[in-house]
Amino acid sequence: MFRSTNVAARVFERQILTPRPGATINLVRHFYENLVPSCTICDIDCPDHSFRKITDDGRYLVSFSRNLQDIIVYRPTWLSFSFKGGNFDYQSLTQKAKKFDSFFTQLYSVSLGSSSEFICKDFFLYLEDHQFGLFATSTAQSHEVPAIEGAIHGVPSIEKITFHLVRLKDGVVMDEKSFCNDFVNLAHSMGVFLYEDLLCIMSLRYQTIHILQVRDSGNLVDVRNIGSFCLEDDELFLNSHAQCMTVLNKSKPVGNVHESANGIHHQQVAQASAFLTGIKQRLLSFIFRKAWSEEADPILRVQHLKKKFYFHFQDYVDLIMWKAQFLDRHHLLIKFGSVDGGVSRSTDQHPAFFAVYNMETTEIIAFYQNSSEELYSLFEQFYDHFHANSRESVHANFISSHSNNIHALEQLWSMKNKQSSFSQFVKKMMTSVPYTCQSQSPSPYFDVSLFRYDEKLISSTDRHRHSTDHPIKFISRRQPNVLKFKIKPGLETSGAEARTKKICSFLFHPHLPMALSIQQTYMQPTVVNLHLRIWMELEVVVIPVRMFWIEGLALRG
Amino acid sequence: MGSLLGDWPSYDPHNFSQLRPADPSAQPSKLTPATYHPTHNRTLPPPNQVISTEARNILLRHFYQKSEEKLPPKRAASDHPTSEHNCKQPRAAYADGAH
Repeated sequence: MFRSTNVAARVFERQILTPRPGATINLVRHFYENLVPSCTICDIDCPDHSFRKITDDGRYLVSFSRNLQDIIVYRPTWLSFSFKGGNFDYQSLTQKAKKFDSFFTQLYSVSLGSSSEFICKDFFLYLEDHQFGLFATSTAQSHEVPAIEGAIHGVPSIEKITFHLVRLKDGVVMDEKSFCNDFVNLAHSMGVFLYEDLLCIMSLRYQTIHILQVRDSGNLVDVRNIGSFCLEDDELFLNSHAQCMTVLNKSKPVGNVHESANGIHHQQVAQASAFLTGIKQRLLSFIFRKAWSEEADPILRVQHLKKKFYFHFQDYVDLIMWKAQFLDRHHLLIKFGSVDGGVSRSTDQHPAFFAVYNMETTEIIAFYQNSSEELYSLFEQFYDHFHANSRESVHANFISSHSNNIHALEQLWSMKNKQSSFSQFVKKMMTSVPYTCQSQSPSPYFDVSLFRYDEKLISSTDRHRHSTDHPIKFISRRQPNVLKFKIKPGLETSGAEARTKKICSFLFHPHLPMALSIQQTYMQPTVVNLHLRIWMELEVVVIPVRMFWIEGLALRG
Repeated sequence: MGSLLGDWPSYDPHNFSQLRPADPSAQPSKLTPATYHPTHNRTLPPPNQVISTEARNILLRHFYQKSEEKLPPKRAASDHPTSEHNCKQPRAAYADGAH
């Protein structure tokens, strides 16, 4: 905790202050109270690209061309200006400062799409260790799909989805992985979870979780597929069993075994479809064992089983996997729901369930309904572990959440107290689990201990929001009435224009006091603003004072 | 001079000339602090103890702990073979009761 709010005093105090163990970053972050992006360059003249994200290490700004065929990567830099002599030319500085090129240098442009495949502009994942970016291209979505063996009804299909692994340093495409006639939820990277070097891709149509590893060489390697089969040799065992049966019954034709790019063998042998999928079997056996062990008395146990298990048996069988995330390298958290429940916002009619699955032992460890208070208490205490941040990712560990920040926790409690029904509140909170990785910006301006801001207008989650005409205020947390800076997302609008709906999205640089706000209005060109801090005042103050510092220290001591 | 600040450069040579250690006879480097030895060995760690971070994070530990409370671990197939047969016998009775 710094004693003064003045930045020069804080710089000197930092030289002698030892932060609390493990809290160095929290202390150093206080400097962001002094260095705020208070200047706005409205409607900066920038290329007409769809800006996606500034990577979490601040090295790259990733954008897509309007026709969604190319990726264009920029390097965020900072304007530097020096002058000699007494006459400072403020005009030329402002001219330079208003250019997009002063802050972002284009590195390269790479074409990923083709005539039929377009880049999914909501999808981007970044592997910080190797500076790899994961992009997705897909063909058009079709809802009218014939039901085929292995695919569930009611989920749309995309003819081809390709994931591209690109080395962002130079734009070289390292590897690609395609899924045909499948559906992966690419919006906001929700269907894919990245943990260290492991990728978990949720194939909704075939109800399979594909685990891939990103190697140092840039290759995407299959690790396992969880869905029809859990263990690697389950398929071999069932195939050999099926072949034995067909040898005995020679009259029955042997089904075709054809392999698609998904790596799934579609067998049309009757015996295979008689089994429930491997993951479903694990789930049902877990529910059965749990219900069995809840009652000691044998007669009451049967009644209990009837009520808890057999009565709901078909509902459990009809559950499908909606979303999955890693909890660590061996454990997955899988959300189960009904077929039509995934897209609806309402949590009442469509119950959702969460299961913790150990990939090594192929066991289900826990199973909760989304209204479970036990799960909610874990959510309230250990939400950071649902983020599944690896230890190497420094920035992500300091994103404010209600498990690491008292102000966020107070906000959560006040929301809890306002709700009339606790189970409704729990269900609402559980919609944020499983977590969508890399969906929150690590910028210190979103740190709830430093600033107070309206979460409906702006927050660390990168979602489009309705933009208002009023600037978004960031108020200091420590000095409750002091406004630190404002972000004005758009141009001054007249009354008529103000009625049209505007959507705004924000890209904050992870450690520089710089942010891009992108305002989109229907049928009008996109407006991009740059919010930044002009550094000029700082250098003039600090240097002369330092010369007297050592003497001052000795005299006091 | 014996001052802690020694002969550091200063723009005024008369600075630090007034500083003297309070007690010239006490040499701080010669003082040895008192050492405390334990009179028992109840609190000694075991000789082969290795302290390391638990690999599983706390959230997973909670999940496992709750599942162990609810689900007793499976018995090995070799234990109590007769009770397995006992489980099978009353099934017919339950089937009658269910219908």
